[in-house]
Amino acid sequence: MNILQRIKNKVRSRSIHVAYVDVGSCNGCDIEVLACLAPRYDIEQYGIFVHNNPREADVLLVIGAYTPGWEEKLAMVWDKIPSPKAAITIGNCPISGCLFDRKGSFVDPPVKKHIPIAAEVPGCPPRPTEILQAIMSVRDSVFFDWEEEHP
Amino acid sequence: MGSSLIWYLREFARAEWIKKFLFAKTAPLVTPSYFRGFPEPTGKTCQHALFCMMACPAPGAIEVVHAGDGWIPKIHKGHCIRCGLCVEACPNGVLKSGRILETLEREGTSLLFSFRIAIDKELCTGCGNCCTACPVNKQVDAQMGAGGHSSNDEVIMRVQEGDIVVIHEDKCTGCKTCEMSCPNGAIRIARILEGYQQPVQEELQ
Repeated sequence: MNILQRIKNKVRSRSIHVAYVDVGSCNGCDIEVLACLAPRYDIEQYGIFVHNNPREADVLLVIGAYTPGWEEKLAMVWDKIPSPKAAITIGNCPISGCLFDRKGSFVDPPVKKHIPIAAEVPGCPPRPTEILQAIMSVRDSVFFDWEEEHP
Repeated sequence: MGSSLIWYLREFARAEWIKKFLFAKTAPLVTPSYFRGFPEPTGKTCQHALFCMMACPAPGAIEVVHAGDGWIPKIHKGHCIRCGLCVEACPNGVLKSGRILETLEREGTSLLFSFRIAIDKELCTGCGNCCTACPVNKQVDAQMGAGGHSSNDEVIMRVQEGDIVVIHEDKCTGCKTCEMSCPNGAIRIARILEGYQQPVQEELQ
């Protein structure tokens, strides 16, 4: 690994741009993601910026139980993100559908079967600290050694 | 203007300011112990009352499974919403989460389960499948055969003269085995969850 690659790794893992999509949640998890931006949790002190533009993003936060309206659109958003990239699901809904996955409902969880997911954060809603931890763990596992794995 | 520029330069040249600017960090993020987490076992033995599963509002979040000789409640992350109702409902204090158990003790609150057996006489054929399937009946009267006739007065329900008669509704454990064994869907078990509060007296505290 040459010095350029080392710098790339370092820079990538220190500057994560996040986009989030709500694929049909109750808005509870959106509020928790928003709380990460507030001074108490202050996501930017870790070099994580929320841009909400998939073409600029490294990490995609997926929130919600995957309603039919997202069938082609979520994969489209995922394809627009330049690699290296990772997707994190926030909350119970993308994992199991939780309360919404009942007889007669149209949601189609888990989100895992539609796009590749790097980390899942359980909870209804998860705490901002848990969301932060998930993003940090993805940072260490995906972005920090990207150059070694994809020379 | 000149003086304010000098004032600002002097202000920003202070060693304390520069140190704060470069090394300021927010306090480490710790989760307080009183936050309700995913329920954890306290170490007490599970008596298989299944009240945790009945109280749980999230589908598929808690299951009581075999563990060696006994039973153990298993929490499924990704389904559990951390409401803590299972912790409150458990009569034996098998689970803990945050300070729920302490609060229950201090406030003297409890959740009580009761069960109602509703039989639709129009649909019931008096086959007695429910009586023979019932695990409580089986313990009380092991001799009860197909047809659900019994001479024992301690059973929950039995068939008398072609009709089903419920004798001891209070013994029902809410397992719903009878519902599943009924060929006509005539029997329904209603689980009733009541919150009680018995304030602890001041001198006893």
